[in-house]
Amino acid sequence: MKTKLVVCMAGLLVAAAVPLLAHHSFAAEYDANAKLTLKGTVTKVDWMNPHIWVYVDAKDEAGKMIHWQCEGGPPNTLTRNGWTKDALKIGDEVTIEGFRAKDGTNTCNSRSVTLPDGRRVFAGSADDNGPKARGEN
Amino acid sequence: MKNNLSVAAMAAVAMLATGVSFGQGPGVAGLESKAAKDLKGPAPRLPDGHPDFSGLWERPYTPDMTAYGRNQTPDQSLPDEPLKPGGRAGARPTKALPFTPAGKAAWDKYDAANGDYTGSCMPFGLTRSVNSPDPLQIMQNSQYLGLLFEQNTWFHTVRIGGEHAKNLTPTWFGDSVGKWDGDTLVIDTIGFNGRTRLDTNGHPHSAQMHVIERYSRPDYGHINYEITIDDPVTYTKPWKNTRVFTLRPDWQIMEYSCEENNKDFFEGHIKATGDPNDPKAGFTK
Repeated sequence: MKTKLVVCMAGLLVAAAVPLLAHHSFAAEYDANAKLTLKGTVTKVDWMNPHIWVYVDAKDEAGKMIHWQCEGGPPNTLTRNGWTKDALKIGDEVTIEGFRAKDGTNTCNSRSVTLPDGRRVFAGSADDNGPKARGEN
Repeated sequence: MKNNLSVAAMAAVAMLATGVSFGQGPGVAGLESKAAKDLKGPAPRLPDGHPDFSGLWERPYTPDMTAYGRNQTPDQSLPDEPLKPGGRAGARPTKALPFTPAGKAAWDKYDAANGDYTGSCMPFGLTRSVNSPDPLQIMQNSQYLGLLFEQNTWFHTVRIGGEHAKNLTPTWFGDSVGKWDGDTLVIDTIGFNGRTRLDTNGHPHSAQMHVIERYSRPDYGHINYEITIDDPVTYTKPWKNTRVFTLRPDWQIMEYSCEENNKDFFEGHIKATGDPNDPKAGFTK
């Protein structure tokens, strides 16, 4: 059954120039035309190389709970930008804006992760040739 | 045998106790924090008088060696590629590489979606490691330039004043020797196994590639870097790319295990191959 996604039409924000997919191209895995916004609860954070993963349970439009996994930046770069794995805790409510994987799984590439008070965590990603990736050129 | 590297390492350990930590995690000190205030000062020199490139260097991520970007410039002698319609406003054209027919065929058939060897954490190789966004720690003495790439925790050594052996076993990173041209270290690398790509975009090269790199340090805080790709199998003439590296006295190199949680690959979201005989890999021989 296809999950209906809330499509975010607003422009995506990219804060810091955090390289996301340094070792392989964005386009090989993710669909630049399949923007999505997930609102849900953090169930796990993998703070490991080559990329962090944030696991979120989010309801689709029909109200069904879907288990998502969203790829973030590399932990070393995030550490240098002041983040730690404790920036998100299990149970935190987040909004993830990103792009869906081409293979149709509940996998996304997160371009932003936002807490309910508007604070962004693991901010930004750049230089993976993905859409709005380059904050620096 | 006198080993300046071990002396430098002991000095570094001593400085750890007095360094300043910044944005690196708790309790990690900067090795060169006491020099941080004078990044425009002269470059340090080894006891033998040659420039010392040692330090932790931030480099521009270079996914496309034909493109303009921050701290990176493609070969100005090459013609521009026509701009694609619908591209980003204000985007600069990339440079058109001088492909041989075999090189053009290798480039045209490459699609990272069919498998990028780095996706399975195979060694990036020399040029893609230099292109990587993660820091590079250089440790140098009179005999060796040691390149410690944070990307996948790979290292590569350059024998300063050395020569290539006659029967090299081809490798991912090649065999590098260096010689001084004034204050510029010129590094010559051959012996590639042909299983790598020049950059993330996948520009091809053959096992016959010859890479020439030039390192100079105009001031304490910067390295000027130039790389020339000389590969008559793939390109009709040599072409180059230049960069500026920036010293980061506030950073420490960190471990980077590509393999420890490579979900993209082991869950099958991406294809990856290190097999040069895989037709989908599209390697030039």
